[in-house]
Amino acid sequence: MNHNPERREIAIYSREELCGDYFILWIWDDELSKISNPGQFFEIRAHSSLHDAWDSQRIPKLFKPISVYDNSGGRIGFFIKNVGPGTSALARLKAGDTLELIGPLGNGFPIVKGRRVLFLSGGIGYPPLSYLQKELINHNLIFWSHGGASSADVFPCDEVWTVDGSFGKQGMVTEGMADLLLSKKIDLVYSCGPGSMLKQAAQIAAAHGIEHYTSMEAYMACGIGVCHGCAVPVGTDEDWTYLRVCKEGPVFNAADVLWSEL
Amino acid sequence: MNTMQTALGKLHLASPVTVASGTFDLENFNFIAQDCLGAFVCKTITRHPKVGNPPPRLFESEAGLINSIGLQNPGLDKFVSEYLPRLRDTLKIPLIVSLSGTSIAEFVEIMQTLETQEGISGYELNVSCPNVENEGIAFGVHPDIVYKLCSALSPLTRRELIIKLSPNVTDIASIAKAAEAGGADSLALINTVYGMAIDYKTGKSLIKQGIGGYSGIGIKPIALALTYKACQAVKIPVLAMGGIYTWQDALEFFWAGASMIALGTANFIDPTAAQKLYDGLNTHLQEHNLQLTDIIGKCVV
Repeated sequence: MNHNPERREIAIYSREELCGDYFILWIWDDELSKISNPGQFFEIRAHSSLHDAWDSQRIPKLFKPISVYDNSGGRIGFFIKNVGPGTSALARLKAGDTLELIGPLGNGFPIVKGRRVLFLSGGIGYPPLSYLQKELINHNLIFWSHGGASSADVFPCDEVWTVDGSFGKQGMVTEGMADLLLSKKIDLVYSCGPGSMLKQAAQIAAAHGIEHYTSMEAYMACGIGVCHGCAVPVGTDEDWTYLRVCKEGPVFNAADVLWSEL
Repeated sequence: MNTMQTALGKLHLASPVTVASGTFDLENFNFIAQDCLGAFVCKTITRHPKVGNPPPRLFESEAGLINSIGLQNPGLDKFVSEYLPRLRDTLKIPLIVSLSGTSIAEFVEIMQTLETQEGISGYELNVSCPNVENEGIAFGVHPDIVYKLCSALSPLTRRELIIKLSPNVTDIASIAKAAEAGGADSLALINTVYGMAIDYKTGKSLIKQGIGGYSGIGIKPIALALTYKACQAVKIPVLAMGGIYTWQDALEFFWAGASMIALGTANFIDPTAAQKLYDGLNTHLQEHNLQLTDIIGKCVV
């Protein structure tokens, strides 16, 4: 069930450096841990109070939607890539600094049993699948294929693709997808990554008649369903509408997304 | 007497703080109490459902937010059958319905339907949305059309009739005067300023539609100047908005002449912003033994 999101200020427990521009912020919160599920996200921000904005002359910025990377026993991890002004403010945070959060938000991945599952991730699409893997691994067979621009965008999985060929197979992660569906007798796909990759993955899964859930990313202002900024077209060519990544998503049945409009 | 009381035309309100259309919904009451707001302004509704603009619809710029939502809304019929009952059940504060149309006849039709519905204290005519071509801003930039629209609508209702004006005009004073002459009870301003962002590496627009509406802290001086100008031009009250984040920001707009202020983008930056603004303003007025009415329009130039 979905809980009403709350706004909290929580001290960062620790910070972990990864390769390239990637890092992890860890927090402890028993209550948030209990109500968070794989595929859900938080709006997070380096603490900047509006109360101080006038005095400090600092311009407060929007929260950034970051999915849950890990969640067990009260410890929650946010696996982040430093890509712009919002995430670089997060990148400057260290243990003990205050993180502002709203969440958990959105609808997570469906949890299944007894399936042959393919995980397909691209770049910073990796973290939500990592959390999902921990939930599914005891009751399903999982094969994980991950792609990145270069060896700096690669994380632990079963098969790696890089665009520049610096690690694993050279090419886009979707290039190996059709073969994997057949060789691993896959009956369910979970994906997360750039829009172009998800669109390709959706076409391949649909061509093989395989169920596919995809976690979409979008620019957000509010994260709570109010601003309608994070629109994804859902429906058929004749009858479609824009749904919200933050409210109806971020996980969608890929067959419902109108990829031609994206 | 409550230091925070204000009047907006026919409305006597317990708080001078409200929210800008499209930036606040019932979900926000998870974060703040209703009574810090004098009224609730809903997202703009149109006669027929609108699917909105293609994404990307948002980009956060150096000092604000560019949006291109395109008035996505379920349309008048669904608003009346589904959303309005929810608003009526939930709200303990006055409801102001924001509406827009493609013609004066369509504005009339929407308002006549809403007049048959209970639980509405006022209307905000959105003639200033920069993100739809044939409605909204096409009306708000011509004084003669603003006059005709207000003249057509004001005899139809005894509720508060607010018209929300665009900053994207040559002379706000002439448009404000036209609204007043047409029978508008109050003005709301400003809607968003035309804005754009481009990826410096690829040259690609970061908003799918190219130009969007710019809001947030960066537009505050523009909003303040237009508020001041409009307040000088007309006698009807002004509901001011544009880059208001804090109680200090709010005070500037009251000095400039606003009778009420709204938070817009600030609601996205901090869902508790309205509560903080209300509390800070209340404390400041009490500490200085002031009523809000003591400072409205008393700006020294």
